Amino acid sequence: MTMPQRAAFAAWLVLVALCVGWLYRNLSIGTDLTVFLPPSTTSAQRIVVSQLRDGVASRLMLIALEGEGTPALAQASRELVRQLKASGRFGLVNNGDLTSADKERELLAAYRYLLSPAVTAERFTVAGLSAALKESLALLASPAGPFMRKILPFDPTGESRHIVEFLVPDAGPELRHGVWFSRDGTRALLIAETRAAGFDIDGQAQAIKAIREALQATEASNVRLLLSGPGVFASEARATIESEAQWLSAAAMGLVLLILLAVYRAPGPLAFCVLPVATGMIAGIAAVSWVFGPVHGITLGFGATLVGEAADYASFAYIQAARGERLADTLARIGPTLRLAVFTTIFGASAMALSSFQGLAQLGLLTIVGVGAAGLVTRWVLPAITPANAVSRKVYGLPFDAPRAVAVVRRGSWIAVISVAAALGVVAWHHDRLWDDDLANLSPLSEAAKSLDRSLRAELGAPDVRYLVIARGKDRETALEASEAAGAWLREAVGRGWIAGYDVPSNYLPSGKTQQSRRVALPDAATLAGNLKLALRDSPFREGLFPPFLEAVERARTGPLLTMEGLRGSAFELKVNAMLFPADDGWAALAPVRGVSRPDELAAAARAAGHELLDLKMESNNLVNSYRDESLRLIALGLFCIALLLAWGLRSLVEATRVLAPVLAAVVLDVAILLLWGKRLSLFNLVALLLVVGIGLNYALFFNRPATDPDDRQRTLLSLVVCGGTTLAAFGCLAFSQTPVLHAIGVTVTLGAVLSFMTSAVLSTRESRHAGT
Amino acid sequence: MLGSVESTSARFVETRHSALLKAPLVLRGTLAYRRPDRVEKHVLTPYDERITVAGGRVTFENRTHSRRKTIAVSGAPGLAALIESIRATRAGDLPALERYYALQIEGSRERWTLTLKPLDSQIADYVVSLELSGSGVRIGKVTIEETSGDRSVMEISEQPG
Repeated sequence: MTMPQRAAFAAWLVLVALCVGWLYRNLSIGTDLTVFLPPSTTSAQRIVVSQLRDGVASRLMLIALEGEGTPALAQASRELVRQLKASGRFGLVNNGDLTSADKERELLAAYRYLLSPAVTAERFTVAGLSAALKESLALLASPAGPFMRKILPFDPTGESRHIVEFLVPDAGPELRHGVWFSRDGTRALLIAETRAAGFDIDGQAQAIKAIREALQATEASNVRLLLSGPGVFASEARATIESEAQWLSAAAMGLVLLILLAVYRAPGPLAFCVLPVATGMIAGIAAVSWVFGPVHGITLGFGATLVGEAADYASFAYIQAARGERLADTLARIGPTLRLAVFTTIFGASAMALSSFQGLAQLGLLTIVGVGAAGLVTRWVLPAITPANAVSRKVYGLPFDAPRAVAVVRRGSWIAVISVAAALGVVAWHHDRLWDDDLANLSPLSEAAKSLDRSLRAELGAPDVRYLVIARGKDRETALEASEAAGAWLREAVGRGWIAGYDVPSNYLPSGKTQQSRRVALPDAATLAGNLKLALRDSPFREGLFPPFLEAVERARTGPLLTMEGLRGSAFELKVNAMLFPADDGWAALAPVRGVSRPDELAAAARAAGHELLDLKMESNNLVNSYRDESLRLIALGLFCIALLLAWGLRSLVEATRVLAPVLAAVVLDVAILLLWGKRLSLFNLVALLLVVGIGLNYALFFNRPATDPDDRQRTLLSLVVCGGTTLAAFGCLAFSQTPVLHAIGVTVTLGAVLSFMTSAVLSTRESRHAGT
Repeated sequence: MLGSVESTSARFVETRHSALLKAPLVLRGTLAYRRPDRVEKHVLTPYDERITVAGGRVTFENRTHSRRKTIAVSGAPGLAALIESIRATRAGDLPALERYYALQIEGSRERWTLTLKPLDSQIADYVVSLELSGSGVRIGKVTIEETSGDRSVMEISEQPG
């Protein structure tokens, strides 16, 4: 080892030690998909993102039990509710069984005169009571009579009924044996709201575990459990990503090593080939962890694909070494080309690193640091530690006359030109269907999981919340008043058929002002008793039935108002907390709206009332669009920088064009094929195309590198074939991923690598000066 | 037997015996059925109330109190069971009846009695049994016994045509 080599080796050891030390202490892996969302600029967008992260909808778990008879499933459902409530992990567990909602029934009973919107002074006059009694009589005589009878002496004016009418959405699932069932009676249905926020995947995973354990504890061994909901998806996605990242990178690594083994015909060089990649991964992950904190699972999965790109550097070096040539000399020879290859990739990735989306920025940084480190290790560390005869047994050329094959292929350059023209036509034809704007398509869900979710949601009457009304106030009390105002116009909207239903926090916790006005409307005990006596005179109801009613009104009249503390421990507390929270130096009350048929009218009504209608789907699509526009700008910038770098590095505009053109052609062909395949481009396709540019430039640069002699030409072409093969192996594995993101990247890069290999062979190869010799 | 009925219209007199009432409440009105799933019970006195069941929804329409409300049958299983007893008997829909009740049939074609006991434990908390009796395709009488001791008896007299 020479002095500089020793220094390089020492520096490398220190770097690796530092990175490993950092990772050992600090590495944490995140799976919060919302880091792949842009930072929100408007207050509405902040609410969208916070709803996606920990809104009610994000905490919802849909549970179905099947595989047994109806009575056994109902029994299991009850038992499960009891266990889950005891677990403390759920704020709300509901199987439709009203008898299990003790706390909530107590609240309704105690506070019905403060909660019911029907409470007015008129209702407790002789005339009002008389009308209420007549109504109760009709109910008693109706088919609902047997079920109303018990509560009638407590609540002859039907306040509990009024409250339940607006608290319980009309379109609930069927009840059998007192619990929710699917229409065909084969599945018992439940919903649960986790205490853990939606983005807290560990909390969600623990909640899922609690459900499974609770079901086991019920000893209903034949009952099958079906689970769905955002938290379930997120934790399954994490499990999928983790297991896939492991076995896919193992498979990729295995294939790459096999190819290299076939070329070097000895296991020794493999260890050296792995060094740049391994160093790159460690340095890249450490850098991301240092800058961003938690490293996202997708970043890691993507990082595994560096195997394909950075493994090439060592391959270019070892394979291009001539017989008996020292590696340091080889590297000095191909150094400029290798340096350009590394720098173009770094420039391309810089565009990603500048993204305001944390997820993309993480990928960018990981690539820059990883590829940079791999390049440095290849250039300076490998020559220092590779023994002299390490690669002496390697293959020196392809088993056929490769330069001749390239020359033949080059005659088909007109095919390439026509293909690219056709591809441009396809892209132009698809210009309005180019992009996939739906955020939902980024989620790594299988079609089976999606269809289970749809069927459970339909049966539970729990549609995806798409529209929200936001009403604001300067504090909790004024926000509740705003919520009541929103409730008033939303009720009208229901009447007009614009929406099917809505929920507002003030349903569960009316503002102090409203409660006060309802309390004032209640007459004192003597007046009420007198009025009731008069009302009962002409009524078929017996006298002396209603003391429980008189006592309840008196308790409400003299008792405390309902407060947040009063709701503690009930399902209503969770509801209110989810829909009422501090936002932007004030408070916001959210009203989820169901079954919107006239969004425009609704938005106008919201504006007229000084409220805001939020279309979560549109807002999130807007987020994705702005993200994409930004990415496109950054990619254009990246390409421009790459072009400048090439012109400077190759000292010629013509040469730079010769290198860049095949890569751009490959990108166009790649996009056209994806479109013809019926796919639309997502952000991750864009990222993958950036990678295609990086890899393609490596091919083009080496195809374009002037050869010193025919043997050199043979070795260069061999190295290109090997690099193409390893890239194909690595990204081909990724294409088999179940995770849409990884799959998209895998397919795009595999295609892109094949295409850019071919276009580079056709367009970048120089006229060989040694053809005739 | 009953399944052949396309549509019928009948008068009824229903007597509701309840411990909550000074005297039994007597309702009079009409009962109409149309294949396959529409049942309408129209109370004419002592107040005007129309209860319609069609397509899985129950509509209460009380003209005296000018109130109207529609709920899904599925959300009110007890209600569904009681209404189903009339509808399914009319429609000759034995499977629907067996979903909610244990059935017991006595007597002859000319004079039969059908006793229904709710299977669902939650409904059984409120309703002991329903007894339907009649002759041929006609239901003549429906008696509902409640666990509270209350009882209601509906006498149905078929209208010609």
